[in-house]
Amino acid sequence: MPSAPESTAPVLESFISVDRQIGLRAAGFAGLVAALLLAPVAVGEYGLHALIVSMTFLLPALGLNLILGYAGMLSFAQMAFFGVGSYVSALLALRWGTPFWLNLLAAAVAAGIVAVPLGVPALRLRRYSFVMCTLGFAVIAQAVAKNWVSVTRGDLGLSGVPRPRLALWSGGWEVTGILSYYYLALAVAVLAVALFLLLVTSPAGRYLVAIREDETLAASVGAPTWVYRMIAFVLSAAFAGAGGSFYVHYFTVISPTIFDPFYGNTLLVIVLGGGLGTVGGVVAGSFVFVALSELLRVSPDVRMIAYGLLLVVIVFTCPEGFLPLLLRRAKRRKAAVEAPAHVL
Amino acid sequence: MLSDSLVNGFTAGSVYALVGVGMTIIFGVLRAINFAHGEYYMLGSFAAWWGIETVDMPYIVSIPVAVAVVSVIALAVGLLVMKRLIDRPFQIGVIATLGVSLVLQNVVILVFGGSYKMFDGGWIDPVEIGDTFVSEQRIIIVLACLLVFAGLELAVRKTRFGKTMRAVSQNLEACRIVGVDVPRVVLGTFVLGCALAAFSGVLTAPVIVSLYGSMGTSITVKTFAIIVMGGVGNVSGTLLAGWLLGLVESFVAGYLGLQFRDGVAFAALILVLTFLPQGLFSRRERF
Repeated sequence: MPSAPESTAPVLESFISVDRQIGLRAAGFAGLVAALLLAPVAVGEYGLHALIVSMTFLLPALGLNLILGYAGMLSFAQMAFFGVGSYVSALLALRWGTPFWLNLLAAAVAAGIVAVPLGVPALRLRRYSFVMCTLGFAVIAQAVAKNWVSVTRGDLGLSGVPRPRLALWSGGWEVTGILSYYYLALAVAVLAVALFLLLVTSPAGRYLVAIREDETLAASVGAPTWVYRMIAFVLSAAFAGAGGSFYVHYFTVISPTIFDPFYGNTLLVIVLGGGLGTVGGVVAGSFVFVALSELLRVSPDVRMIAYGLLLVVIVFTCPEGFLPLLLRRAKRRKAAVEAPAHVL
Repeated sequence: MLSDSLVNGFTAGSVYALVGVGMTIIFGVLRAINFAHGEYYMLGSFAAWWGIETVDMPYIVSIPVAVAVVSVIALAVGLLVMKRLIDRPFQIGVIATLGVSLVLQNVVILVFGGSYKMFDGGWIDPVEIGDTFVSEQRIIIVLACLLVFAGLELAVRKTRFGKTMRAVSQNLEACRIVGVDVPRVVLGTFVLGCALAAFSGVLTAPVIVSLYGSMGTSITVKTFAIIVMGGVGNVSGTLLAGWLLGLVESFVAGYLGLQFRDGVAFAALILVLTFLPQGLFSRRERF
């Protein structure tokens, strides 16, 4: 555990959003999980599908939240890592029939490994340059997926990806039914959120916030800023990679269209709309913005128009996100300092 | 082969430069990268296509009509969105213009459908130059690009509006102190930049022939590479960077394979950002 010199602790402490309502939040999460556990009773098969899709998007959204909400860097590379994870997972399952846990882990690790050489040039850059550089990765990733035909089968993509197989190594139980898939998704999502919470409440998470607030100050009190930014970049990629693995075993097909801006924009709407730098907001955002549009069967172009308008409205009227705004209105209290509204 | 690559490279490069110069002047005054910039290019070619298809407009008329239509759209976007970006953190600009891009692009897809549109217009008769045939339209593109750049360079240096534009890009606070109407300059620059993108879209439509709603995205991202290479706010640097990108792309497509063409812009972007963040032609402004 890295620790700053003692005298600097109060300085860093003042930047940390101290969570005074841990009990309330834990209750909120427990309530949500309970509701989701019981959801199959109330919603039909299509409802379950919508919920599964939104939980699939939750993982890369958490990654984006880490890099944008906590580390303050706007990255468009999330969907590239999502795609890397899904291709890795699909190839492993297709070629060697590996079990689900290994695919998921391998997808996360592969995306994290890919992020390291990308981070070396990208993390030297600031502001616009970083944004454009990460957008470049997404375009290059799509070009690789399209042209590395011997592995990815180009534009045809990979089809017939096996359903997740729950086993230590061979045999085991294949998750085929939508209901069992739903519970698997829920388990993965809960695990991801727990990991994310552990991460952002750890000293590393606090360092990230400190670096976001004032990099020079954080560096001056001994925070190794470059290392922590790299860690955030790699971990956000790992979250996205795991999400990709989950995606590909549900839809059983993967093609270079996964790198299309459609998915990346969805992530931005989830994170910005839900509440940048919050966990509950992003969880709520993925249910509201994905499940709702799936349920309403909105066509992709209408959905993108709505997302576009939402993005414009969000940045100008409530940069802290809708959920924190609602909470604040509900509690009728002064602006909370918890949400880093000024990141935007 | 060689002369084909040269011709294609200069034509594509001129188109890129025209779109890129709009982006670079907007960046200059607003310090915001316009993620929707390629959409105005797309809107320009769609407006011309629509005019030609529905009212049988001659191509020559469709050019000013398309530019005018896009300028009106840009004015609306400018008033609603871009004016609010003055003095705001850069992420706001990125996300707001990304939102604008999503709306413009998908409204076009919703209204006209997602299928390819055949552009029927322009002067596509070949002209013999030396031992190669070049379509008239390509010559017009390069000439128009040169004219626009000469005009812009002159306007930026000599006219009052050009001078205020440069002043706003150099020091916003000082401009406010001496009474420059900053929002008006931003709005004017934005509309001018978008009109240039639209002009470029109409000019290039007869060459690329098939139009589709999401064609602006790849232009937007290539424009990033151009403004980074050319140096921010550097008009003639943008022209050189546009031609350079066009030529390299054309040679890569011709000699290595078409599939590698679209990677060039990003390889260039990452290399330039890493090693020459001030651009290829300037020693001063850093990105």
